[in-house]
Amino acid sequence: MKKFILFSLAFSLLLIITFCNKEKITEIVHQPTPYEIEIPFGFPTVLNIPDDNPMTVEGVELGRFLFYDGRVSGRSHPDSLMSCSTCHKQENSFECGINNPDFPGGFTHGIAGKPTPHVMLPLINLVWNHSGYLWNGFISNENPKEDYRNIEDLVWMGIIAEHEMFSDTVRAKNLIQNTSGYPELFLKAFGSETITVKNISKAIAQFIRTLISANSKFDRYMRGEEQLSPSELNGFVLFTTEEGADCFHCHGGYGNPLFTTNLFYNNGKDSSFTGEYEDFRDRFHISGDPMDYGAYKATTLRNIELTGPYMHDGRFATLDEVIEFYSHHLIWSPYINPLMHHIANNGVQLTPNEKIDLKAFIQTLRDDDFLTNPKFSKPEFFPDGMK
Amino acid sequence: MKKFFIIICLLIFTFIVGCKKNSESDDVEKFSNLTLKFAYYNEGKLLEFDTIIYENEAGNKYLVNEIQYFISDVILHKSNGENILIDEWKDIHYIDTDILSTQTWKIPDKLTPGNYNSISFTFGISEAKNHSLMFLNPPERDMFWPEYLGGGYHYMKLNGKWLSDENTINPFDFHLGIGQIYHSYPDSITGFIQNYFEVNLPSSSFELIENQTKEIEISMNIENWFRNPNIYDHDVYGGDIMQNQEAMNLACENGHNVFTIKIIN
Repeated sequence: MKKFILFSLAFSLLLIITFCNKEKITEIVHQPTPYEIEIPFGFPTVLNIPDDNPMTVEGVELGRFLFYDGRVSGRSHPDSLMSCSTCHKQENSFECGINNPDFPGGFTHGIAGKPTPHVMLPLINLVWNHSGYLWNGFISNENPKEDYRNIEDLVWMGIIAEHEMFSDTVRAKNLIQNTSGYPELFLKAFGSETITVKNISKAIAQFIRTLISANSKFDRYMRGEEQLSPSELNGFVLFTTEEGADCFHCHGGYGNPLFTTNLFYNNGKDSSFTGEYEDFRDRFHISGDPMDYGAYKATTLRNIELTGPYMHDGRFATLDEVIEFYSHHLIWSPYINPLMHHIANNGVQLTPNEKIDLKAFIQTLRDDDFLTNPKFSKPEFFPDGMK
Repeated sequence: MKKFFIIICLLIFTFIVGCKKNSESDDVEKFSNLTLKFAYYNEGKLLEFDTIIYENEAGNKYLVNEIQYFISDVILHKSNGENILIDEWKDIHYIDTDILSTQTWKIPDKLTPGNYNSISFTFGISEAKNHSLMFLNPPERDMFWPEYLGGGYHYMKLNGKWLSDENTINPFDFHLGIGQIYHSYPDSITGFIQNYFEVNLPSSSFELIENQTKEIEISMNIENWFRNPNIYDHDVYGGDIMQNQEAMNLACENGHNVFTIKIIN
């Protein structure tokens, strides 16, 4: 009996030691390197990073591969590859761009030709967006469904949406699992070689959160490193005054260098929003507030000259058309946002010279470092050596 | 052995008594808590947003869509002349009718129980504290006041619409902040005017009771922005006033009579 008790005790001790060590081993194997986002001068300090997807160097590196790899669509035939980068082009501020030969006029469609419901929004400084993604803010932390809350969710949605990759998540996951090099990268980033769509989404979201633009001519002006031309300076004054072009309430300025509040406004494009004119993807259909009929996200004006066509439906092809609209062609409706107080005169009534100056200022928000940053560009080779 | 037991008992007794004494001395510091709530009225009734049911003293029918504003340097005045600046390290408070959490301010300070004569605060932000890039994150960030117009932050955005004398419903942005002196309007600014002002709340005496939380409502009575002592006419001042010091000055003079308090419990 004594021997049996001793044996049992020894066996239990061995089990405890073994399990404890196993936990230790796992911890040692999966120790990704934290990725620190440097906050540029004047930028917000609160980041939108979900607790279950902290930024890591390994996650960002993996996300960059996946962002550019057409096999994320679950297909390997060269004709049917589609990745995030098929539409989100770095040279166009990770937007499609109006001169894209694959999408004439900047109007995108899915792999099988189905048009996207609204025109694209650029992937830029999204780590500071706390007010919801997409034109109506549908993807937001306020969404009661936990699969529709952040950039991660836009990834899996993009894989299955008919107007995007039009695939299924099992195919996507299996193809990446069977592509050599990827399982090792997933192990480094997430501690497991078993690939899940959740981890594909997490990695791509991490990469997207690194896409930060903070070195335009205007940023350098803010930091005291460069002067604006007289025309640009006059445009800046117009941009930030109510008696000028009055852009700043929605689009920021010195006090908000994101150049968007990320909020939603009816900016006077139309007069009717119900019946045959109803857009089931406007802000009203998210908030339920009638004042949000015809309201959409104020887009960032950073790199705006590259991200046409403009407005949620792409009705304006050029910046000149947009300036002309705000200057002379606003349309009254009961839902127009009160910040559009120039509606009484149909717009801000800029003179031809003022329009030139305003455009010159807006063009100072172009960030060439962002557009050419090699950290954001397509990797030379994918993990399996493919180009 | 018996002696040893007695010594141990004595030691335990001493320890217990000592501890009790400590906790009793903690109790000597008595305090009360204060919570401020923010509400909006028109002619004594809770404000209804987004519906054009109000008429101001100038005869403008109007509605209110949203109100966003700062109060700062909230001071409790005691009968013995002592003035207590509350929440010293977060002394600027933002209130937004669209953000529920901003409408209640639980003051972290432990306040001394007793009678208080009154409350006062700064409407907006004083010149000494109203610096650009002080708030980097929304929602406060989105109150920034452009550098060209004086910098810092809006004191208030009260956005709405009114039925104009041309019978059209036009938006108004009743925005208050730093005013400008122009050499030739709207260019050539030669100076700035600080429009923030101190609000001394009338009939604002209250008592803080030990270990209890006092809830006080700070009420904004919207109609007074437009009538007392100056009649403010939207048809005269139009949709925007950030570059109209005359209009902002009238509004700020009226602002002294806009706020009242209500003791909730």
